[in-house]
Amino acid sequence: MTSLEARAGPSVRIVFTSLFRADFLVFLKHRRALVVSLLLPIFLLLSTNASKATHSFGGAEFIIGLAIAYGLAATSIVGYALTVARDREKGVFQRLRVTPAPTWTIMTSRLAMQAVANLILALVVVIIGTRLHHLSPSIGQYLLVLLVALLGGAVFLSIAQAMVGLVRSADTVQAIARVLLAVLILLGTLGQSGALGNFWQDVARWSPVGVVMTLFAGVLNLHAWDSRDTISLAVSCVYIVVCAGIGIRWFQWEAR
Amino acid sequence: MIAEEHGDGALLLRPQASSSAAPLEVPSAVALDGVAAGVAPGAILEIQGLIVAYGPTVAVSGVSFSIGRGEIFGLLGPNGAGKTSTLSAIEGLVKPRSGTVLLDGLDIRRHATQAKSRMGVQLQATSFQAELTIRQIIRLYAGLYGVKLTDDEIASRLREVGLEGESDKPFKQLSGGQQQRLSLQIAVVHEPALLLLDEPTAGLDPQSRRQLWGRIEQLRREGGSILLTTHSMEEAQAVCDRVAIIDHGKLLTAETPRDLIEKHKDDPRVRQVAHGAVTLEDVFIGLTGSEIRD
Repeated sequence: MTSLEARAGPSVRIVFTSLFRADFLVFLKHRRALVVSLLLPIFLLLSTNASKATHSFGGAEFIIGLAIAYGLAATSIVGYALTVARDREKGVFQRLRVTPAPTWTIMTSRLAMQAVANLILALVVVIIGTRLHHLSPSIGQYLLVLLVALLGGAVFLSIAQAMVGLVRSADTVQAIARVLLAVLILLGTLGQSGALGNFWQDVARWSPVGVVMTLFAGVLNLHAWDSRDTISLAVSCVYIVVCAGIGIRWFQWEAR
Repeated sequence: MIAEEHGDGALLLRPQASSSAAPLEVPSAVALDGVAAGVAPGAILEIQGLIVAYGPTVAVSGVSFSIGRGEIFGLLGPNGAGKTSTLSAIEGLVKPRSGTVLLDGLDIRRHATQAKSRMGVQLQATSFQAELTIRQIIRLYAGLYGVKLTDDEIASRLREVGLEGESDKPFKQLSGGQQQRLSLQIAVVHEPALLLLDEPTAGLDPQSRRQLWGRIEQLRREGGSILLTTHSMEEAQAVCDRVAIIDHGKLLTAETPRDLIEKHKDDPRVRQVAHGAVTLEDVFIGLTGSEIRD
């Protein structure tokens, strides 16, 4: 063993475990936020339980997909972005950065915890949604829902990362996050249903909420999987690459 | 002057008997303005030609110095002189434009993880995750240094700094003095070879300040080296083995407080500001000027 190896710092596994445990404890303290994030999706599922409303969105699978997409957008765009912006402003990241923890582990731990939250949210919404809309997905479909929850969550997390990359002030991030969430919800509900006309229906279809909703609908009705689902998958990946790229490229660890 | 800790934890300031009281392995010469000279073998920290810039603004300009093992080294300077930027470069928070920083022989940029695992840091403004309790914060930071602590060990560490009854409180509920003591305890959770303290006594009441200096003395006795910044010349004179004065990003001088006073006591700039016997503060103001910095 060389002298450098003998003096090596802590292993990445130990560092990541410590960070993830702390992030999990923070998540537990904020568990009420997850419950609040479930309110809108559950309200949507309950209010569209009538067949007429369901048809205007393209079917029960799309309603469930839209509900999950709303939940993922709320936890990621508001929850994740705001926590990162506030911790940055308070100097929490600076304190972590002077430890041997590689910087990528600090952010990856937070993203991993957020992914777990997204999985819980997606599972709860899909169980309630399929019960209310009388669908019986297979175990395989449930697994696919979880897979899409990771992908869909990544879409909204990358948008959140782009926000905290481009905007340093926590107050501004909070304001933008709320406006963006409101726009996505309106676009998803009114645009998707066709109430705003064909142009806005197209915009809504390829918006982050639209493509994530389509993917969930696709895995809940695999027989109807078509080119729109495949393109939605590709568009989701583009959102992730572009937004995460912006968020990582311009992210600053200090608010000043 | 040297600091001596009493049994009750209070700190007594008394005149330094002789310059031979300085710890072993202190470099005999310090390089100024980027010219490396006389770096002692076995120094815990060696900085050579450090330049830190933020865009067109150069905050640290060719600073070189080294710190011996078991030494308390004070970095003094007016506001905006480059103290925190120098510390930030050592801590890895900013990337120097040029220069080298070796911690225990390790280049802090090439071997960041290994170097950071050998240093403890107390930042000027410390903030931990608001949702975590003190016990959870200690466990997190111990883990980040690869140290596994049991609940009993955490309780023992909290007892050492008089926080035994506060383990389930969040950090923000502690008083300023308690927060500072906890921050210091977290900075030394892994028994670092070098401790970096950025204005550790800022905002503390006299009791908390004395307790903190006592703790710093104790850490030195246990073999640690300490690099600190402070605006308190009296404390620097009492506690530091050597002090360096930095201004406008350049290192002006680095000596033992006693030698610094001796060397500059007849400097007209120092005589002009001195009232009676020349103090470290007189030398500091004489060398850096009387105008107020922002």
